[in-house]
Parts: sequence; C-alpha cells; structure tokens
Amino acid sequence: MAGGNEVNANESKRVVPLNTWILISNFKLAYNMLRRPDGTFNRDLNEFLDRKVPANANPVDGVYSFDVLDRATSLINRVYLSSTENETQWGISELEKPLSTTEIVPVIVFFHGGSFVHSSANSAIYDTFCRRLVNTCKAAVVSVNYRRSPEHRYPCAYDDGWAALKWVKSISWLKSGKDVSKVHVYLAGDSSGGNIAHHVAVRAAEEGVEVLGNILLHPLFGGEERTESEKKLDGKYFVKIQDRDWYWRAYLPEGEDRDHPACNVFGSRSKSIEGLVYFPKSLVVVAGLDLLQDWQLGYVEGLKKSGHEVKLLYLEKATIGFYFLPNNDHFHCLMDEMKRFIHSSNCEYATT
Amino acid sequence: MKRENNFSSCSSSSSKPNNKMWTSSPDGEVVDDVDELFAVLGYNLKSSDMADVAQKIQQLEQVMGSVQQNADVSHLASETVHYNPSDLSSWLDTMISGLNPDFTPALDPIPKTSVIDFGSDLTAIPGEAIYPPTKKPRTSPYLSLPSEQVGNPTRPVVLVDSQENGIRLVHTLMACAEAVQQENFTLAEALVKNVGFLAVSQAGAMRKVATYFAEALARRIYRLYPTSNKQDTAFSDLLQMHFYETCPYLKFAHFTANQAILEAFEGKSKVHVIDFGMNQGIQWPALLQALALRPGGPPVFRLTGIGPPSHDNTDHLQEIGWKLAQIAESINVEFEYKGFVANSLADLESSMFDLREGETVAINSIFEFHQLLARVGAIEKVLGLVKDLKPEILTVVEQEANHNGSSFLDRFTESLHYYSTLFDSLESGGEGVVSDEDKVMSEVYLGQQICNVVACDGVDRIERHESLDKWRIRFGEAGFEPVHLGSNAYKQASMLLALFAGGDGYRVEENNGCLMLGWHTRPLIATSAWKLS
Repeated sequence: MAGGNEVNANESKRVVPLNTWILISNFKLAYNMLRRPDGTFNRDLNEFLDRKVPANANPVDGVYSFDVLDRATSLINRVYLSSTENETQWGISELEKPLSTTEIVPVIVFFHGGSFVHSSANSAIYDTFCRRLVNTCKAAVVSVNYRRSPEHRYPCAYDDGWAALKWVKSISWLKSGKDVSKVHVYLAGDSSGGNIAHHVAVRAAEEGVEVLGNILLHPLFGGEERTESEKKLDGKYFVKIQDRDWYWRAYLPEGEDRDHPACNVFGSRSKSIEGLVYFPKSLVVVAGLDLLQDWQLGYVEGLKKSGHEVKLLYLEKATIGFYFLPNNDHFHCLMDEMKRFIHSSNCEYATT
Repeated sequence: MKRENNFSSCSSSSSKPNNKMWTSSPDGEVVDDVDELFAVLGYNLKSSDMADVAQKIQQLEQVMGSVQQNADVSHLASETVHYNPSDLSSWLDTMISGLNPDFTPALDPIPKTSVIDFGSDLTAIPGEAIYPPTKKPRTSPYLSLPSEQVGNPTRPVVLVDSQENGIRLVHTLMACAEAVQQENFTLAEALVKNVGFLAVSQAGAMRKVATYFAEALARRIYRLYPTSNKQDTAFSDLLQMHFYETCPYLKFAHFTANQAILEAFEGKSKVHVIDFGMNQGIQWPALLQALALRPGGPPVFRLTGIGPPSHDNTDHLQEIGWKLAQIAESINVEFEYKGFVANSLADLESSMFDLREGETVAINSIFEFHQLLARVGAIEKVLGLVKDLKPEILTVVEQEANHNGSSFLDRFTESLHYYSTLFDSLESGGEGVVSDEDKVMSEVYLGQQICNVVACDGVDRIERHESLDKWRIRFGEAGFEPVHLGSNAYKQASMLLALFAGGDGYRVEENNGCLMLGWHTRPLIATSAWKLS
C-alpha cells in the first residue's frame, strides 16, 4: 500500500471538502467492517447501516418519486419526475399521459454504484443524486434496484439492468416528443453502475433496442494486470486495490479471474464491439485521483478503436464519490457536461 | 394536491458556502446547526462537530489497522452492537471502543490475564486513557430530522406491476373522495358506483382494496356509519389472530418490543409488564421464555393486562391471564397477573396500579396510542400516567402512516396508498402456507380500519395513525427520550422474517434508533422505545 494510513488521511483531506472526506471515509471504514476475508459479506449489518429513504409522491424541490414493483421478479425501479413539468394530482402521477407532447424529455436509466455489493436505489445518497439529476438534466430518472453480489453474482446485475431497460422502453407515460413515438433513453451509472450501463448498452445494441447515450461515472473496470495508476494510488484516496479485488471475487463467477469479460471489457477474452453500429455514444467521467483511471482511460481508447463516439471528462483533482455532495466544482462541471451530452442529441432528433 | 416544499433542502444548481440548517424546537429555540447536506443523506451531523468527527474517523481507522489478524475487523464489527448509524459521532465512539482489542469483554479471544506483546509499533496505539469514554448516545429527538420533513410528510407510493389498469380505478376513487370533501354528494354517489364496476375488472389486491374503500366512501356518502369496532371484542381479537398468522407485522411488533424489554430487564430481579392492549396476550409467552432462559435465571414476573370490557359473559382478560400463568408455571417463572377493564386508557389512574418497591416496570403499547388522539386531552393524560408509573422502558409500535390529517382528501389518499401496499404484501405472502381463511379474515381486519379512517369522524374515528416522526416529537415534548434499538435486534428481526414471513419483499429498516418493518421500500409499522428523561 502506498503511504501509511495517516499520510493518506492527510493527503485525501487536502483534496476534498471536509464533509465529503467525512462521508466517504465513513463509508470506507464501514465497508471494511462488512467484507470478510473469506469472501462472505455481512449483509444484515450492511442494510442496517445503509441510510434509506422512501419514495415521495409529494414534490420536494420540484421532484417527486414513486416506486414500481415487478411482482414477477421482485425488482423495484424508483421513478423520479419533475413536478414542474408533470403536474401531479392527489399525490400520484398522471400515469395515463406521456411526459410531454411538445418536446423530448430524456429518461435516464440509472444504475447506482456500490461495487455490485453495497447500496440500493432507495439509499439516501443515490436518491438524493437522482433527484438532482432530474433538475439539472431536465430529465426523468429511473433508478434500478438490481440484485447484488455476493448473493447474486454475474450476470444477475446485467440481466436486471436489461429487464429494466425493456420495461422503461415499454412504458407509455415515459414517452415524449411531438409524435410521442418512443421513450428517449440514456443509460447512466457510477462505479459498478457504470459497468452495468456498458454491458446493458452492448446487449441493447445487439438486440436492436435504442439507447441514445451512455454516461459512465468512474466506472468499475479492471483486469489481472496491475496498472500504473493502481500501484501509484493504492490506498491514497479512500480506495485500496485489495478492496477492488474482493469485490470482483464477490461478483464474478467462482473461480474466475479479473480478465473475465465482465471486468476487462477490452481484454483478450472479450467480444469485440466494433461491429455494433447501434452502440450509443458515451460520456466517460474519470476522477484523476481514482486508482482505476488507467482501466477507465483504457476503456475510452477501446471505444474509440472500436469506432464508437466517446467524450472523456477527466477531472484531475477529483476523488471517487465527488458527486455525492454539491459542494465542489467537479460536481457542477459534471452536471453541466451531462446536461450538454443529453440535450445535444435531442436537437438532432427533434428535427427528424 | 401538490405541495411544494418551500424550505429549500439542497439545491442542485448553486453551491452554498454555508450549509447549515437550523432546526427549531416547537417553543422556538434554535437547536444546533445540523449540516443540511448530511441531513438529506440520512446523517445527523452538526457543522460544529465536523472536525471532531473527522478526528474520530482517523482514530477508528487506526484502531482497525491495529486489530490482530485472527480477530479480524469484520468479526469484531458483527459482535459489537451498533446503534443509530445516523448519529455518526456516537456510532464512531462505539466502534472505536468496540473494536479496540483491549475492550471486547464479551467475546474475548485473548485471555485477560496474559500479557500480550503487540510489538513496539503497536504500543503507540492509544488505550482507554486517550480515547474518551463513549459518550451517551445523543437522544434529543429534535436532532433526528430536519424540521421541514415533519411539516411536509412524505407520501411513499409503491405501484405494483405498473398498475396501468388500476390507475383509472384509483383516479375514480380519488375523484369520489374529492367530491365528498367538497360535499358534492350527487357526484360522489355517481363516482362510487363507477368504482364498483371498475373494481370488478381488477385482480387481486387492487380489487379488494378498492372494494373496501368504495364501501367506506359509500357509508360516508349515505351516512351509514359503521358501528364501533370496540363493541365486539371477541370478533376483533379473532380477526387480529388471523392477521397475526397471515403476515409478519404483528410478530415483528411483538418481537422487537420484547427485545427492547428484555434488554431493559437485564440484571433486574423483579419485573412488572403493563400491557396497554392485552388482546389475546400472544406477545407474552415469548418474553416469558426468553426470561426463563436468560443467564442468572428469570426474574419474578408480574403482568398487568388492560383491555376493553367484553360484551358476553366471559371474563376474557382473566382467561388470558390463567393461560399465561400455566405457561409460566411450566417454565418455572414466578408469575402474577392482573387484568384491568377500561373503555379507554385515558380512564386509568396511576393509583389503580399496585406499584411495588424494587420492581422494574415496562409499559407496552401496540397500536393503542393512536386511538387516544380521537379525544382531546387523552394522549396527554395517558403519557402523564406513563410517567407516574415510572417505567424503565416504554415500548411503542404504531402504523407508519399519516392518517390523521385535517383534510379528508389527504387522509383518504394516504390511507389508499398505505392499505394498497399492505394488501399487496398479503397477496404475495404464503402461498400454500397461509390458509385462505386466515387471509380473508386479515383483509376484514384491515377493512375495518379502512372503514374507520374513511367513514368515521370525531370520537368514533379511532384509527388516527401518525408517523414515527410525529410520535418522536410528541414523546420528546412529554419528557421522554429514545432508547435505541440496535443491530442485534435488527439482525434477529431479519432472521425472523426469513423464517416466518412466508413471502418475499418484507424489509426491516433502521431509522434513527427505531426499527421499521415494511414491504419493499415502504415502511408500514415502526417500533420505538422510550424512557423518562
């Protein structure tokens, strides 16, 4: 591990506001207590510690939410809508009308992070983030409560993501535009959610389901190789390689290594996505102090080489989790970029 | 009915240099500057405490780093009991002392008498002298949530299977309720008939819920008010028994309340439990058993059961007492029982209770307190009574819902969502495990509540459910402070659900020291525990 604990604490304290440091350090330490060396996980304690919030059909700051349960799969999606755009009556949404008949309202299908293991769609940190997305991106957001490892390994999260995408596409009240012909979907996710977004987008492209764009926020990718950034930044800014290894071991099929295609998406074991004409354009956000950046930058290169459009937003001084609190420039920069990324394509589509 | 929240919580477009939020207590005092950004993330953290908390985090990391290999952190963490993770400062304190290898008396892998050389590096790890003793957990209810959340309650909605067909039905119900609120009874009448037609085309829970709500609306429109539930106690008890068998809500209530009582009774040799709603007494055998099995043996146990008068000739309360006495005898617990008949808890006086020297008192109230809100002054009188009885602990279980708003339409909407979720959970539970009879009776049990919320008013409307946030304020103002339920209770409750829930989707959630049981993401009942400040 690079540097002693105390050195790293002081180092990470220099680069983030104090409240962000407290928030992320608190998660780090709690998570350390939950992972067991034998690969098992203290699920009960994790859920006990996780701060959760119910949906709220009463608008707060112009956003209201409600949960939709698919009884067949027991999967929940939390839907966030703008109350200024969509009048609510009696505290429940008007589910018989589309989002808009005059303009395009993008729908962001969001996959929360947590390294495939932690957090839920109703975790306070993600509920808050999704609410902010509705306002800044002027979009509807659907947050997917996918099944987590180690109880549900690969490919459960991807299957759930795919099911959620198909569900969203089928919903009449998520459609928008002058001809109200379709749901305008973007996939987004942070950490493991970013990884899920990629894989769901691949499947969507293979099966002809239209996704307008992918937004990956410091996505979780990796491989057997130890990259420079992993070695240099190990333990310095809240994350250790050792933790990352644990999470991959918990997610990938037993006995697999990190060159598995789920993890090393442009590695030798992965299928090429070069031919996938309908793979969406991507916005990849990389935090300059994230030890996984070499993998993420490699992902960006991989997309380019495969002939896919990608925009890289490299935030040099950002650590993981910078977007949980709106108290720093990286956060605002991210929001602006996301808004631009989502709405630029609407201009194109609106003319057809 | 959209309600805009005027109190801006966290705006996404501007970065505020000063993220403080001042919460005020009802008498206008400003109480501490809770950091607003943390509040929406579920943590109570005062801006003035941040530096201190940051230091504790560093201390905790040091302690975690120093733990011996074979007593790994995750093992110690699960052995330590966690309380109220929202109170970061206290949680960190507990962790620091809990994970410090010198301070784990309960699970001691290291014999106390041997001297262990941790090596010169580790002598730098501070011991008790440097870490201050764990502070008392913060129990001020005012710190537990931002004030605007109490003013504008949440409306958690869970739609099942998109319910697109059900939407029209819900809208018609709502339109009918609105017509009733506006006293446009001609329109209301037409709409309620419409609901009947629409309900028939629905399946499952939606149909049943709609039918109950339609009936309740019809009663309100035609002024055919239902007779008081209180009149037939035998039938009510029967319904509750079926409800108990069908789904885990009552089991959870009993289990978590018993857990808190058991912990409060630790080390006590004479105990007295006062049950504000005796019903069939099904909560108590489990507590008796747990007390019988505790290390050091059971205490002398006294139970006072309060219930409404029965209208047949049986002395219902006494019968229950005898049955419990038999159980106690079979497990060698010295047991004494007294039953009290009262129409309302507000009719009781502390002088009626035989309070004895050296006895530890626990008062238990499951779904009783909300009923007192129907009469002015009743809740205050009963809380006064509770204080006079000087309990070690007061355990309270209530429905996690706001069905007592002043607007009829609000109450209607809230209860429609609440009971829809409850019925959905009944629907999913226990195929093949739960009998159809149990299910139907449970639905009737809930149907009676729906009828009361929607069709009744004034003193007849007793199902005046209020959310935990509101109860917290009430108890706080009355001079009680919370006793937190911890991760041990949480874990056991989760295990209980896995064993008995008979259905997927039930979830236990921790909320500022209290435990809630819900279905998927919607909490439905909440258990809290209190003591005198």
